[in-house]
Amino acid sequence: MKPPRVLRKLTTFFQKLRRSRFLVLWIAGLVLTLLVVVPAFSQQTVTLNFLIGAPERPTWEPVIRDFEATHPGIRLNFVEGPNATNAVEDLYTSSFLLGSSPYDLVYMDIVWVPKFAAAGWLTDLSDKVSDADLTDFLEGDVAGGRYQGGLYRMPVRSDAGMLYYRKDLLDQAGLKPPETFAELLQISQTIQKSDVVPWGYLWQGRQYEGAAAMFVEVLAGSGGFWIDPQTKAVGLDRPESVQAVKFLLETIQTGVSPRGVVTYQEEEARRLFQSGAAVFLRNWPYAWPLANAEDSPVKGKIAIKPMVHAPGQESAACQGGWGWGIAKTTRHPKEAWEAVQYLTSIETQRKVTLSTGYLPARRSLYNDPEIVRTYDFFPAMLNVLENAALRPPIAQYAQASDILQRYLSAALTRQMTPERAMTAAANETRRLLGTA
Amino acid sequence: MTTIDRPLDAQADEIAVAKQPPKPGFSWQRLGVPIAAFLIAVFCLAPILWQLLTSIKVNADISAVPTVYFPTRFTLNHYTELFTRRPFLQYVLNSFLVSILSTLLALGLGAPAAYALARMRIPGEKAVLAGVLIVTLFPYILLFLGLLEVVRALGLGNNYLALIIPYTAINLPLTILVMRSFFQQLPRDLEDAAKVDGFNTWQMLTQIVLPMTLPALVTTGILTFISAWNEFIFALTFITREDMKTIPVAAAQLGGASIFEIPYGPIAAATVLGTLPLVILVLLFQRKIVQGLTAGAVKG
Amino acid sequence: MTTDAIRQREQRTGWILVTPALLLLLLVFAYPIGRAFWESFFTKNLGSELQPVFSGVENYTRMAFDGRFWGSLRNTTIFTVASVVLELLIGMGIALVLNQAFRGRGAIRTIAILPWALPTALIALAWTWIFNDQYGVVNDILRRLGLIETGINWLGEPTLAMIAVIIADVWKTTPFISILLLAGLQSISNDLYEAHALDGATAWQSFRQITLPLLMPQILIAGLFRFAQAFGIFDLIAVMTGGGPGGATETVSLYVYSTVMRYLDFGYGAALVVVTFLLLVLAVAIANFLLSKLRARAAGVESR
Repeated sequence: MKPPRVLRKLTTFFQKLRRSRFLVLWIAGLVLTLLVVVPAFSQQTVTLNFLIGAPERPTWEPVIRDFEATHPGIRLNFVEGPNATNAVEDLYTSSFLLGSSPYDLVYMDIVWVPKFAAAGWLTDLSDKVSDADLTDFLEGDVAGGRYQGGLYRMPVRSDAGMLYYRKDLLDQAGLKPPETFAELLQISQTIQKSDVVPWGYLWQGRQYEGAAAMFVEVLAGSGGFWIDPQTKAVGLDRPESVQAVKFLLETIQTGVSPRGVVTYQEEEARRLFQSGAAVFLRNWPYAWPLANAEDSPVKGKIAIKPMVHAPGQESAACQGGWGWGIAKTTRHPKEAWEAVQYLTSIETQRKVTLSTGYLPARRSLYNDPEIVRTYDFFPAMLNVLENAALRPPIAQYAQASDILQRYLSAALTRQMTPERAMTAAANETRRLLGTA
Repeated sequence: MTTIDRPLDAQADEIAVAKQPPKPGFSWQRLGVPIAAFLIAVFCLAPILWQLLTSIKVNADISAVPTVYFPTRFTLNHYTELFTRRPFLQYVLNSFLVSILSTLLALGLGAPAAYALARMRIPGEKAVLAGVLIVTLFPYILLFLGLLEVVRALGLGNNYLALIIPYTAINLPLTILVMRSFFQQLPRDLEDAAKVDGFNTWQMLTQIVLPMTLPALVTTGILTFISAWNEFIFALTFITREDMKTIPVAAAQLGGASIFEIPYGPIAAATVLGTLPLVILVLLFQRKIVQGLTAGAVKG
Repeated sequence: MTTDAIRQREQRTGWILVTPALLLLLLVFAYPIGRAFWESFFTKNLGSELQPVFSGVENYTRMAFDGRFWGSLRNTTIFTVASVVLELLIGMGIALVLNQAFRGRGAIRTIAILPWALPTALIALAWTWIFNDQYGVVNDILRRLGLIETGINWLGEPTLAMIAVIIADVWKTTPFISILLLAGLQSISNDLYEAHALDGATAWQSFRQITLPLLMPQILIAGLFRFAQAFGIFDLIAVMTGGGPGGATETVSLYVYSTVMRYLDFGYGAALVVVTFLLLVLAVAIANFLLSKLRARAAGVESR
């Protein structure tokens, strides 16, 4: 009984082999056809993929349509990311990390640039752009696209922190807008005493990136620094830095800021200010059109100016903003550069600004008649933007920011003294940077 | 393990019958137990049912204060939105593909190993078993960094294999433990008789042992399918292409973390669709799941 | 053929059957952990442009002074202890009820497994919705009971967020414990209870003196399993709070994930993996020791 069984098995085995040989041939044929056919097709149109948070879709969709109409060989494929920008950053990061990134263009927040560039994920654009090409762009926005001599991002949207104030209340009291920290506290208390508003100054004290941006302004305005990008020196434990923390604490202790300010992000602060409950607000430009909307109680009663500072020091605004870069792994660098040029051109920025009210990264647009007609506050914004200070453009910025946020929050919620918190933050940052 | 060869319920019923209080009439147990059982059911079902209800409410009712518990309007829009705005069908297919393939692989690799560990005296058996046991305690976060490097080195990013291989591996310990306890209960005489009849090991395995252990394979397969379907961290890390994502990751990213305009309805719909296959599995195979789990855990 | 030859052949076949599984386990479990040990002695991050630079124990000294690491360890401990203890208590209660006879027991038993089988990430979405500050059903119930006036921001307040993720985890994994404990309960012979009842013991006494000691192995095993899983919790918290607000629910595994996937700090991430691994091994060793002691005592009781 046994031998026939073995034989049978052998024959089926060989039959299978023959069948599988057929299969191999068939697959090989298929692969060959694909190899020949697919490139032939794809050569006709190049598709450039990029990822953007879902809420930005309405902003970019018309621009993409116009681009595709004028550039028939290139298709821009919008991949919709999550709402939160840090989730978008994580998606870009993990796809670059896997080494098989599906993205050709990168739409970047200013603080991502050093990280993405240091990791070697971006194309250096400096030999494609001359200094003359860059003159129209705001300095801070261009600087935010640089990392160790290379240029990795072309700016398209600008952003900077600024001081909003109630012009009506100051006029009533016969006061001039403040220049220094002390004046801000004084004016607040004077107006608070007259019971028109419960609060003086609103800012962002929650433990998150916004607090780091806010602190950069107070820090630079006090004459201090966070991290020197060249020497990697850390300045958080210097007296100026401690002084900056003390100013923030003082706003709470004197009742100028509500206790809850240590849990505020931009929106909490804006809503309270917009309801008419405070004299001053630190926020980004996005708050302007909202605070001046038809249903806003403070409509027409507010003005903006650069942030206050210590006597003898300069104002500083924290630089934010978005721009376009090119992935190093893209297979279509020429087309990608064409797209980036288009997406950051004057015409595109004007179009985007007119449709959304976002601040452009090009100087000339701030005095563009068409734009000023729609947004009369733009020329005033330019003044703030020119003073913008970068958050430290180092590759490990995200970690350094996390350290600062944690200790700043500990100091603001009185878990640590300003001195202890800033010393700890400085030492931890030095260990991170390997300069301890 | 006595729980394996006898259906749990039958066994429990005997005990329960014996436990019935001898004297009729009122007792707190009579009243208390059904109430407690009812509360357990509510506790276990409420969050799922709430999500189901949310998924068929209209947007106005979803964001109504006070909450609408008995809506009068129903909609399937959230479901259609999932399929039109996102490649949701693709997510479902990806999940099925990855889960089924890794389940088959885990059974294919795990069952023979379990047989060897149950039946054959091999040197180092104890060490292998101990290793397999300890490994079940490892959280996946310990593995993802090293696996990320493997995936990068082999160029497996955005490849189903980047999920199938780890899923197979993380299910192997359970497969081995459960299958081993089944093999140990298999009467040895059968195999001895087969050996006397001149079957070699391979023939014996495929023609005698395999058919007998089919039920055990099904039990184990259900458990591995569930764990592969539910896995999150590897799927999050090794797949970034939209059309290759699995349901848990795709659904979580649908939410995003933003305060503005979170799509509550579609998220609820995604939850319902992503859990449905597992709810069906549990309804059909409750007993097998319990057997497998207790065998896998308690045997250790 | 000699018995030796047969034995050798059996061993060879055995190894052939075991090897593929073993190789895969080595690749997916042993290699990553071994690799983490190796990498933890290198600085490999954005500062070094992702190139490995040998740095000795620098990563470990950095960890010793890293406030965020200690914070995450504290969060992990709170989460693990609270959820495992609650799960054991509730799981025991459920197992005791399901061990009774009542109509519809089969259906309730099926329902009681359900949470365990469902994907954690999706369950996390469901609980995020339940705890929503504006439209969440928890706030609505509290409002209707008159306990609060305005909605509580459950996932936005440090302590409340931790409570919320613990509740979600308890819901999700209690069934696992009750399944194991129920199996244990069913293997306890009824004679023991009857004899005890004849001696005039109350239900509580027999629970303390019979159920609990005999169930102890199952309790410890279930507890150990859950401990290891809770210690490495990732998906539930990543989806519900992302570790926030302000790091209040960030566990070690979330910190490891951020360190690697967000900060690209591979060397430090590896060191974090190593420390987590060692802590886990320590915990397992302690549990194993307790278990063997208990088994020895149980054996002593039975033989008496």
